[in-house]
Amino acid sequence: MKFTPELEIPGGCIKPLHYDDIEGLFELYKHPEIPGQRPLQDKEQLNRMIDYSVQMAATQRGMMWAIETEGQIKGMVSGFDWQPSNLRIVMRVDGLPQLTVEERTASLKAAISFLSTKYHVRNFAYQWIEGQSDDIKAALSECGFTLAARLRDGWRTGNTEFSDVEQYHWISSENKPVPRKLGDDDDLGQNLNANKRGES
Amino acid sequence: MSWNFETEQFLIRLPVSDQDGAALFHLLSQSSAAHIPRLPMTVEAQALDELRRIAMRFETREAAFWLIERKSDGEVVARIGVQYINWMMLNAQLQWELSAECGLEELQEVLPVIVNYLSDDLHLHRLEMRLRTGSDDQSKLLTALGFSHEGTLPSQMEFEGEDIDLDVYSLLKGELNI
Repeated sequence: MKFTPELEIPGGCIKPLHYDDIEGLFELYKHPEIPGQRPLQDKEQLNRMIDYSVQMAATQRGMMWAIETEGQIKGMVSGFDWQPSNLRIVMRVDGLPQLTVEERTASLKAAISFLSTKYHVRNFAYQWIEGQSDDIKAALSECGFTLAARLRDGWRTGNTEFSDVEQYHWISSENKPVPRKLGDDDDLGQNLNANKRGES
Repeated sequence: MSWNFETEQFLIRLPVSDQDGAALFHLLSQSSAAHIPRLPMTVEAQALDELRRIAMRFETREAAFWLIERKSDGEVVARIGVQYINWMMLNAQLQWELSAECGLEELQEVLPVIVNYLSDDLHLHRLEMRLRTGSDDQSKLLTALGFSHEGTLPSQMEFEGEDIDLDVYSLLKGELNI
């Protein structure tokens, strides 16, 4: 079953996580952008993360894509803390130093567009943590996000050290989906490979 | 480790599932909890369900709710709790439902006990409260107690056909104003 599509962006694509990309993902996790996060030591953990990425998407808890441009994995764009009934989700982009602002922006836009169109998610949040690159804020601004709140000491970076979190939001102007009788218009569990009878 | 406390005028105690149904129903059937987007309770069975739920959430250390009982007459004047405890980030969301008989003076008596416990014994660093936008009375109480307004999260849920924005307030270790 396939829940996470491959989506084109200028110069490449965002694509579902795959075991073939473990080397690229390991490189990414060796350069964490989030303050306080330690570089990943054990490559084996990524196998589990790829399994989780499929389960998360299938159960509408989150969605993860690898960002690939110029034939190289340069980052990941993800949605997590997905609350389907509240039509909201928190987005996140993790990138290697060579991921450009334009690529970051394009990846975020592609993921948001898909989640908005396919799943009717309307409210997208993004948490920028003090100490992260300002490139992230530039990408957020380009995508239309605005600052909603600054959460003091919202992120723990050490035993007794904390960083502020700036929470940004972008709300889609699309109309909310109108509820219909269950079963009349099911979207086949969102399985992208399923036919009209729900068979893969 | 005891989770029950006492001040001069109040008992601050964890609820007892098979005994506190009526008191909790009385408190949560009032409209004074309008800062939380939910309907007031209409039948006592809802309070019993709520007591069972919070007992389970307490057992998994996901939440803790205390009833604030006035010693002089045994009246439950408030429920104060923490939920969404994030043990990695050392933060949690505070929630309260206050009767008309629980104002700033009463909160100044009971909240330090709860906040000190959360901070000194459970080592939580940040307490956050989210209020439905426009909850001016609650907002004044929070500000008087030392909470800071951090912003407004838009469209957090839909309630009675309306998109609800939530104001975020927080209190860091040592900031409580009593």
